[in-house]
Amino acid sequence: MGAEHAWLLAAIPAGAFVVLALFGRYLARGGDWLGIAAIGTSFALFFVVLADFLGTGSGLGPFAASIDWTRIGDFSFPMGIYVDPITIVMLAVITTVALMVNVFSVGYMKGEPRYWWFFAVLQLFAASMILLVLADNLLLLYISWELVGLCSFLLIGFYWEKRSAVEAAKKAFVTTRIGDVGLLIGIILLWREAGTFNIQEILHLAEEGHFSHTYLLVAMLFIFVGAMGKSAQVPFHVWLPDAMEGPTPVSALIHAATMVVAGVYLVNRMLPAFEVVDETLLVITIVGLVTALLTGFMAFAQTDIKKVLAYSTVGQLGFMFVAAGAGAPEASMFHLMTHAFFKALLFLAAGSVIIGTHHHQDMGELGGLWKKMPITGTTFLVGSLALAGVPPLAGFWSKDEILVVLDKQWGPWAVSLLGFAAVLTAFYTTRLFIRTFLGQPRDAHIAEHTAETPPVMTGPLVFLAVLSIVSGLVVFHEVGTALGFPGGFGEFVFLPTHGPHAYEFDAAFAGGSVVLAVLGIFTASWFYWGGRLDRSTRLAQWQPRLYDMLVNKFYFDELYQAAIDYGVLGFSYVVSWFDRYVVNDTGVDGSAQLTGYTGYILKHLQSGRLPHYAMSLALGVVALAVAGLVMRG
Amino acid sequence: MVSLEHYVALSGILFALGVYAVLARRNAILVLMGIELMLNAVSLNFAAFASYLDPERVTGAVFAVFVITVAAAEVGLALAIVIRLFRLRATSNVDEAAELKW
Repeated sequence: MGAEHAWLLAAIPAGAFVVLALFGRYLARGGDWLGIAAIGTSFALFFVVLADFLGTGSGLGPFAASIDWTRIGDFSFPMGIYVDPITIVMLAVITTVALMVNVFSVGYMKGEPRYWWFFAVLQLFAASMILLVLADNLLLLYISWELVGLCSFLLIGFYWEKRSAVEAAKKAFVTTRIGDVGLLIGIILLWREAGTFNIQEILHLAEEGHFSHTYLLVAMLFIFVGAMGKSAQVPFHVWLPDAMEGPTPVSALIHAATMVVAGVYLVNRMLPAFEVVDETLLVITIVGLVTALLTGFMAFAQTDIKKVLAYSTVGQLGFMFVAAGAGAPEASMFHLMTHAFFKALLFLAAGSVIIGTHHHQDMGELGGLWKKMPITGTTFLVGSLALAGVPPLAGFWSKDEILVVLDKQWGPWAVSLLGFAAVLTAFYTTRLFIRTFLGQPRDAHIAEHTAETPPVMTGPLVFLAVLSIVSGLVVFHEVGTALGFPGGFGEFVFLPTHGPHAYEFDAAFAGGSVVLAVLGIFTASWFYWGGRLDRSTRLAQWQPRLYDMLVNKFYFDELYQAAIDYGVLGFSYVVSWFDRYVVNDTGVDGSAQLTGYTGYILKHLQSGRLPHYAMSLALGVVALAVAGLVMRG
Repeated sequence: MVSLEHYVALSGILFALGVYAVLARRNAILVLMGIELMLNAVSLNFAAFASYLDPERVTGAVFAVFVITVAAAEVGLALAIVIRLFRLRATSNVDEAAELKW
């Protein structure tokens, strides 16, 4: 048992999915125990794989294994797994968060219809996501990429009796599909030149200059479009906030911690190829920066707890892309990991609020929950501080890393933009916390019925809160070695061309990060402390048009709706006109009418008179004879 | 000496007479007779060429026999049709049986 059995991590939840999907409704408690057992086994197996991987000692060589999946003529197609530090980090995040979410869901989904189906799809998701990070080739990656998209669709639309949930599921599916087409084109382009789907071989060929510069540039940009769609980067970000229609544990697992980071994972996985065509790095950085800034503003005017967290997630994904664009997978993956823990915590805590208040999730109705829900409140505070980047919580270290590598790669302009995004993050996080948990309850009726949630929900919160506090410390060499790793995070995950990178404490940057976080927190506190809204209302009234723009999220949805109304529908109108008048009336009906009319004219040749026929025959023979003579010359 | 040309000329004259009968006559019986003339012209042609070109073998003569057989069958069928026509219409004029059209 070792790294070569890493595929079991995916196979066990997949088996649980089959059992749950077929027999879940007949099992006791909807089979939730089976789901937890399956993902728990994966979680335990992860440590076996990790131990084996670390035990291989020399240089932490990545582990690869594959089988011949299919053979067409001379073309054999291997499918396999590839385990390297990036995979290990992803597996750690996926199995941990998936286990916590499964446990939490037992409390959250209690009494919901289709309880068993919820757990079945969670297993399918876990299996697909694990397969995605294990895949050693782009085709298997693409298959699992679509599978996680399917799970996302199924779970956003879990409450399909609700129209808005159906619309959101559709929107998520269609929007990510646009990106997926880009990814598919990219994969096909790479395969066409490289003749293989194997990621490592493609990266190797790219580094050797097997591809022409322009060709690789185009292919990698297409790959990046796929990553943007999945990771909801501007301009594809519109689906993620709407995806909050799904049950909250789903938001935590799929739309915060795992599936949406698949794009970040893909970019980091293929970073050596992106580095060969380094123009793409600037594109990645700019997309990440724009996303981080825009969503930072969008989160300002949202009052739905989950929506604020959703915009925050999009923004933090932007941070990860910025780090990847700076050529620093260690910073990107580090932020991915810490973010997964604290954002899953925040979402689950939000879910706990929703259950505790009997399905209220609008800040406008809440407030003062701290006293009623102390565990949820405390863990939410931990998550918020981690997100805001307060030391020594996890988010601080990873955000600090990103700022450092950004400075090294692109210089002060990028750092100042991202620093501003970090201030925005701290601001909306603080606003969210204060308006939900502090001050006086705004609705006495809701407050009266609010109670702390059961241990099955608070347990995962506490576990994730602990991770949110300590997981950032693995950046240090000493902590890493103590845990059995070769060193800190940067000495474990790194780009082969750059080599391991030990964390160095930079007082200027760390101090700057703290100042940014504190700046955001204090501004938000000044506005909202004690649940007061008069200052923010005055600000909104001072520039009503600006405020409208924020409330309407910069009119992205309206823009897309207009694009669909005028662009797609206009084009459809033209196509429909062409189909109706050219294809149908002229082509199909026209040829039929032509045949009919010709027949109408030619039918008079059939007179019914025998002499006419005889004469035609005779003349025909004569004509043939003459023609024969003439032809012969 | 009767040469091949004589046979061919006779065959041509017979054929032309047959064609004329088929085209010009309105009586169905006479039209049929014209057809018989044409068939016989062809048979004569076969026999003449057969004996002239390859006297050892009887390929052409066999063809003539086939033509006679087919002609017999054809006349049997055609006369039956003419009799049915006469029973229905009390005429054997082909111009009066012109309903079989569009």
